[in-house]
Amino acid sequence: MELILVNLIDGLVTGLLLFMLSAGLTLIFSMMGVLNFAHASFYMLGAYFAYSISLYTGFWMGLLIAPLIVGVLGAGVERYGLRRVHQYGHVPELIFTFGLALLIEELVQFIWGKNQMPYAIPDVLNFTAFAIAGNSIPAYKIFMIFISVAIFIGLLYILTKTRVGMIIQAALSYPRTVEALGHNVPLIFMGVFGVGTALAGVAGVIAGPVLGTFPGMAFVLGSIVFVTIVIGGLGSLWGALAASLLIGWITTFAKSYNIEMSDILNGIGVVTPADLDDNIFRDLWTVTSPQIADILPYILMVLILIFRPAGLFGKRHT
Amino acid sequence: MSNTELPKGARPEEQITTDPSRAAQRMRAGSMTLTMLPWIVAAILLAMLPYIFTSNSALTIMNQMWITVVFALAYNMLLGQGGMLSFGHAVYAGVGGFACMHIMNMSDFFASFPLPVLPVFGGLFGMGLALIVGSFSTRNAGTVFAMISLGVGELIAACSVIIVAFFGGEEGISGDRTYAMPFFGNEFLQQINVYYLTAFWMLLSAGLMYLWSRTPVGRMANAVRDNPERAEFLGYSARWVRFFSFVASGFFAGVSGALFAINYEILTEENLNTASSGVILLVTFLGGVGFFFGPIIGAIVFTLVQTVLSLQTELWAFYAGTLFVLTVMFFPGGLAGLLMMHVPAFRLGKAGGLIVPYLKTLLPGAIGVLAVCGLVEMVFHVRHASTGDHEMTLFWTTFDSHAILPWVIFIGVAVIGLGIARTTAPALRDAWNEANTAGGSA
Amino acid sequence: MSVPALELIGLKKSFGKAEIIRGIDLSIGKAERHAIIGPNGAGKSTLFNLITARFPPTAGTVKLHGEDLAGLQPFQINRKGLSRSFQITNIFPAMTVFENVRCALLWAQGYKYSFWNLVNRSRDLTEGAEKILDQINLLERRDLPAGTLSYAEQRALEIGITIAGGADVIMLDEPTAGMSHSETDYITDLIMKVTEGKTLVMVEHDMGLWPCGPDFRPGLRRDHRHWRAR
Repeated sequence: MELILVNLIDGLVTGLLLFMLSAGLTLIFSMMGVLNFAHASFYMLGAYFAYSISLYTGFWMGLLIAPLIVGVLGAGVERYGLRRVHQYGHVPELIFTFGLALLIEELVQFIWGKNQMPYAIPDVLNFTAFAIAGNSIPAYKIFMIFISVAIFIGLLYILTKTRVGMIIQAALSYPRTVEALGHNVPLIFMGVFGVGTALAGVAGVIAGPVLGTFPGMAFVLGSIVFVTIVIGGLGSLWGALAASLLIGWITTFAKSYNIEMSDILNGIGVVTPADLDDNIFRDLWTVTSPQIADILPYILMVLILIFRPAGLFGKRHT
Repeated sequence: MSNTELPKGARPEEQITTDPSRAAQRMRAGSMTLTMLPWIVAAILLAMLPYIFTSNSALTIMNQMWITVVFALAYNMLLGQGGMLSFGHAVYAGVGGFACMHIMNMSDFFASFPLPVLPVFGGLFGMGLALIVGSFSTRNAGTVFAMISLGVGELIAACSVIIVAFFGGEEGISGDRTYAMPFFGNEFLQQINVYYLTAFWMLLSAGLMYLWSRTPVGRMANAVRDNPERAEFLGYSARWVRFFSFVASGFFAGVSGALFAINYEILTEENLNTASSGVILLVTFLGGVGFFFGPIIGAIVFTLVQTVLSLQTELWAFYAGTLFVLTVMFFPGGLAGLLMMHVPAFRLGKAGGLIVPYLKTLLPGAIGVLAVCGLVEMVFHVRHASTGDHEMTLFWTTFDSHAILPWVIFIGVAVIGLGIARTTAPALRDAWNEANTAGGSA
Repeated sequence: MSVPALELIGLKKSFGKAEIIRGIDLSIGKAERHAIIGPNGAGKSTLFNLITARFPPTAGTVKLHGEDLAGLQPFQINRKGLSRSFQITNIFPAMTVFENVRCALLWAQGYKYSFWNLVNRSRDLTEGAEKILDQINLLERRDLPAGTLSYAEQRALEIGITIAGGADVIMLDEPTAGMSHSETDYITDLIMKVTEGKTLVMVEHDMGLWPCGPDFRPGLRRDHRHWRAR
């Protein structure tokens, strides 16, 4: 029972982290109709910038400044890159962001090198918050949950309660009409892109110390983020939240309970073949849940796309 | 390339990567007549090349080139001709290759089996996988297709460490091609034998893929790419047209995987992962997706650049990435598009007038870009060389990267070179307009 | 009495609470040419899209040569002999004019999804396409990309694509929308010429410029958002 609680907390942390990325990505998608492949690269940039800043001024300034720089960079990418490629159509846009992801990874290696950065949890948060049956829960995890929830509430408030949020929501569905009403729609697009990437930057700043700050970090998380918003339904904020938490919990639980495929197969009445070593399916029989934890999201996504192409909460059918 | 204004009613979002430049399109229609000449020239060239470049390393590079050509052409059947963007196409080549490795390791069967037939099996396995995946992934083009291809690609790549029996885990699977039944006394012990096998299969696959683009289903792939709804009201199911393209592409991807297996005699997870899928997208796009021969140019240029640059600099992937992003932004037609842009000027007999303006702009520009690359290399050296190591070699010169003088020289050259290119650019633009205008004073 | 070419029975369509089409009964005989007229927003295009299965009706049936079209995909309807054009020009802009028409001929000439035939080897295809191009006066534009044609030419090409497959029921959605007087004259003549002997159902919001010959009679009239045959 205690273990379940610990896993619930761990999964929540992963899920909320995913959500910080997927929220921005899904907003950008519903606005421009293009999946930003480089989204996780901005997350990586957030971590690296924060690390470099923290060398001089400490963690908290990094948390404050790094997302701002990332947001400005993101806005620049929209203004000078995406807007240009947009005229060629959707497929080149997707290819552009894909190329950008490759380029940012190379750029990070160019500036910071290939090794992991010693970006660490700040000392003030480096203690055990409480323990559940001997499993200690570090204060930093609580801090991560706190930051993510605060950002989610802030985002929800801005989108639903403020004038800017109204204009953004309207621009999502009817950009032409909103433009005719005198609003600068390209500026709104640039702004949303900047804020979306800044959110990814925040995620990078707070995840860097726990998940590691290295050139492959964008790649590790990047595809999972797409999977998340596809499962949640492209363009749906609630879908992104649900899918993020779902994936967070699924992978956490799969990793902490060692279930072997043969247990499941025996459980449903399939008998383990006697000569398992010679059987061509031997690897399938010995697969364990921690082994496949990282590919479970992909399996889930493929199934969703086959049976419910619009995703869990999706309305739009592309 | 200037973006022509879209005609009324044309649907820009359906238009794929090809810049619908009028001249280029006209040319494409003109080349419809099936002519054998390029193919004969290609065959003769392929046969002659080993006599010109005799070293084993040259043969290895050329083999790599032809394998990439087959793969890139197969990929372009989807991207360029069918408008389907795949982020996981390496798995079809990889699975075809892995299957061939297993055939190589079935010693009894393989001993009664001539090696040149092996790519057929690679193709069939690639096609088999494409049949399964295509049955659900080709329902949509666009984002959904791209996401499924990414998901399936990641899934199969991840399986390679789990299903050790087929993918061999981390070490991969290796075999020995020489155990095959001798083919007219040939055991493919030497690189040159493998070269001819690869070149033959490249030419055959390229020819078949070209013919495919001239069949009814190949033509309809273009129609479905441009306007799926209209195609449906002409009696064709867009989904089935995509499916057939996808399966055919899977076959030829499998062939390229088999050729890889024959050449390197080992396949690993690297043949399946997203990075490989990304590289083939890069190669195809650099070459140009709008023309059949685009991916061929892309594969040749990319392999050469990769080989040469990766020997010269650690940063070659950085340059390749930069080039790729710039291509997407400024030349969505790729190298082939750039070449074909010049056809109208040639038709008008005015291409000669472009040579001098080109030299005036591109030469200083190229020198400026090289100087910028030099600066990049110097920054990299200063940041990442081991402490105390101040010596670096660049453009055949060795100097101290911490001294002022080299920096001044490189910055100077970069500024002057790019500056000249910038000032001569308007003249080039005028010359270009002049060369593409019929009549007038030539 | 012979089976009508196209028959609508109690056709209804609502989007949410808005009833757009409130039950239409209509029967169109073979080789008859009809126009559906009404102002913008009367539901003409909706009706059109219902017949061609672009979206499903809320109630009622559409019959083509006595056969119910319910549940069929657009390409299946096309294969049964109904071909349509679109209100917004809908061609393949990146392909040449000739290829546009040839694509429209492929299914009708029985090529299906074949990959063992080469299209440029088939004389039937080339001649068939050139015959259509001649009919729509686009033979000189043969090798131009369709996207570079003038607006009227693109509309003509679309009509060419629509009739190329040899369907006997032709449906045109506002073929003269957005055209000048001379262009309209040009297109109307063209339509009358190429639909000779076929069943034609056409949507227009203004028939003022049409040469309403004796076989052109108003098919439906709008009456308090209610459509009924006259």
